[in-house]
Amino acid sequence: MASVPPLIELDHVSRWYGTQHALKDLTVRLAPGRIGLLGPNGAGKSTLLKILLGLLPPSSGTGCVLGLDLGRSGVELRRAVGYMPEADALVPGLRGAEYVALAGELYGMPRREAQRRAHEVLTYLGMEDARYRRLEEYSTGMKQRLKLAQALVHDPPLLLLDEPTSGLDPSGREAMLRLLLALGREHGKSILLSTHLLGDVERVCETVLILHQGRVLLQGGVDEVRTRRQDRYRLQVEGDSATFREELRLEGAVVLHDNGRGELRVAAPPGWATRAFFALADNHAVLLRGVLPDDEDLEELFHRVLAATPAPPEESRHG
Amino acid sequence: MGDSSGRGAAPELLHYRPWKGAFRPPIAAVWPIARTGLLMLLRRRLFWGLYALSMMIFLMYFFGQYLLAWFQTQAGESRVVVGLLAIHPGELIEILADKLKLNGSAATYRNYIHYQGYMVMIVLALAGSVLIGNDFRYGSLPFYLSKPLSRRHYLLGKGLAVAVFINLLTTLPALALFVEYGLIYSWDHFTRNSYLVAGILAYGAVLTVSLTLILLATAVWLRRTVPLIMTWTALFLLCRQLATSLVDGLHLDPRWRLIDLWNNTWLVGGACLQMGPEAFDPASQPRWVEAALVLGGVSVACLSYLALRLRAVEIVG
Repeated sequence: MASVPPLIELDHVSRWYGTQHALKDLTVRLAPGRIGLLGPNGAGKSTLLKILLGLLPPSSGTGCVLGLDLGRSGVELRRAVGYMPEADALVPGLRGAEYVALAGELYGMPRREAQRRAHEVLTYLGMEDARYRRLEEYSTGMKQRLKLAQALVHDPPLLLLDEPTSGLDPSGREAMLRLLLALGREHGKSILLSTHLLGDVERVCETVLILHQGRVLLQGGVDEVRTRRQDRYRLQVEGDSATFREELRLEGAVVLHDNGRGELRVAAPPGWATRAFFALADNHAVLLRGVLPDDEDLEELFHRVLAATPAPPEESRHG
Repeated sequence: MGDSSGRGAAPELLHYRPWKGAFRPPIAAVWPIARTGLLMLLRRRLFWGLYALSMMIFLMYFFGQYLLAWFQTQAGESRVVVGLLAIHPGELIEILADKLKLNGSAATYRNYIHYQGYMVMIVLALAGSVLIGNDFRYGSLPFYLSKPLSRRHYLLGKGLAVAVFINLLTTLPALALFVEYGLIYSWDHFTRNSYLVAGILAYGAVLTVSLTLILLATAVWLRRTVPLIMTWTALFLLCRQLATSLVDGLHLDPRWRLIDLWNNTWLVGGACLQMGPEAFDPASQPRWVEAALVLGGVSVACLSYLALRLRAVEIVG
């Protein structure tokens, strides 16, 4: 089977702002699909988005998105991509349908087709009844959908979404994630989801790219990343738990939390079998009343990897 | 693109459908940007009130020309004897028309555009805050600049909208006055004075380019209506008063009038209409070339500021 051409390919891409090194020698190759871009503030996510949109050229290195050169194909790149910004980015005074149709025209669609397509997309996103409302009257959830509509109006193969669930209540967030999942799974859209909410990535994405201080901290399939998670358990013990905890420590397990009422949260070492808890409890006359798996989620994984990564030495442009 | 117009397609509407059409080049985005800007301003009642006020000057000129022509036809060859003086009313009306510059000459159109200055200032301040200021205040820039167009196209679109307003207030009514004069008096007016059409259009072009760039730059800088009106008042009223005080009061070099930008457009407009230095009042004026240089310099400065301000760095994050 022929190999699938990459969606995004970056080869030693760096970006400087004056003396500030925003992206450091980034080399990634991402296949089409749903990709989560994670990282704390200042990780370089926004700079990477600007580069992927062709708004900023890399200071060094090369790359391409959908086969289009990052340094030279700004207009073509932005035509092939639908970008949903984090900020409101609305045009006050316009109505919903006008706003989305204007986006279509700005992408280069003829006016009539942009109008027709705007109505279609708004209907698809469940905003049929709100099409003629002024943008100022929209709720946060509607504004997020509207921003998704303007990114989708020209039917791009790739969507760059910057914090699409920002400001949404749980049901709105769930609805938005369902939409994104449907767009990816059923309509073949590739999605680059930039967020700090790992739950969103777990729910929608197949691949995750974690940035930290301008470097790739972790990259891989979400499932693969999940396998790197620590096995964690919630234990309910009765009796003197002090010696039991000490024994766990000697066996390589880490007690993450003890609520003082006989409930422990424990990170088990690789290869740990659950029955070992019972054996240890038995040895120390402790009654083990419950063992519940309580796996590390991506957020905890992210923070653990972050904590384990040594801080890079201070760099300067000429350093 | 899938057919969405068919009646049987209604149930399909809830599904996402792909679109496969041909995209137009980025320059085609200029008009949608301008059209949206015009639409946003035309939806405001305040704009229509201001535009109606600005039309008062036009109506004064329009009916002034019409009434003078009507009086002349009514007066005919008759004479009115007042005491020992026999007065020809037709000649009196002619003198009046010359004094008021309602005689279809270059001065008529130059003066008309000049008198529109105050209304142009107010309407443009409103237009600037709505068209440009709001894009910064409400974060609309990422919406525009994340599309396949450059800041050049964005500025062209916004500039085109401003240009439409400037010409709606100045050039178009001036051309209407030219046509009216020809229709009232003589068809010869159109052939004999065709240079006036070129002059009006050139004057309009000077106003369009210089005012559009100044407006875009000040709107990007200030963003809100009230500060924008205050700055425009300072630029076009205070500078005028200052220039008058310096040149007419303190008798300094007439070049001090160059700080008055509206006066500069008036001088360059006069040159476009082929008017000599004797046609300017007050007479102590800088040369029109100097005024043109100042306008050019200000325009270049505004353009540079705009290029600096609308960088891609602002688009994301």
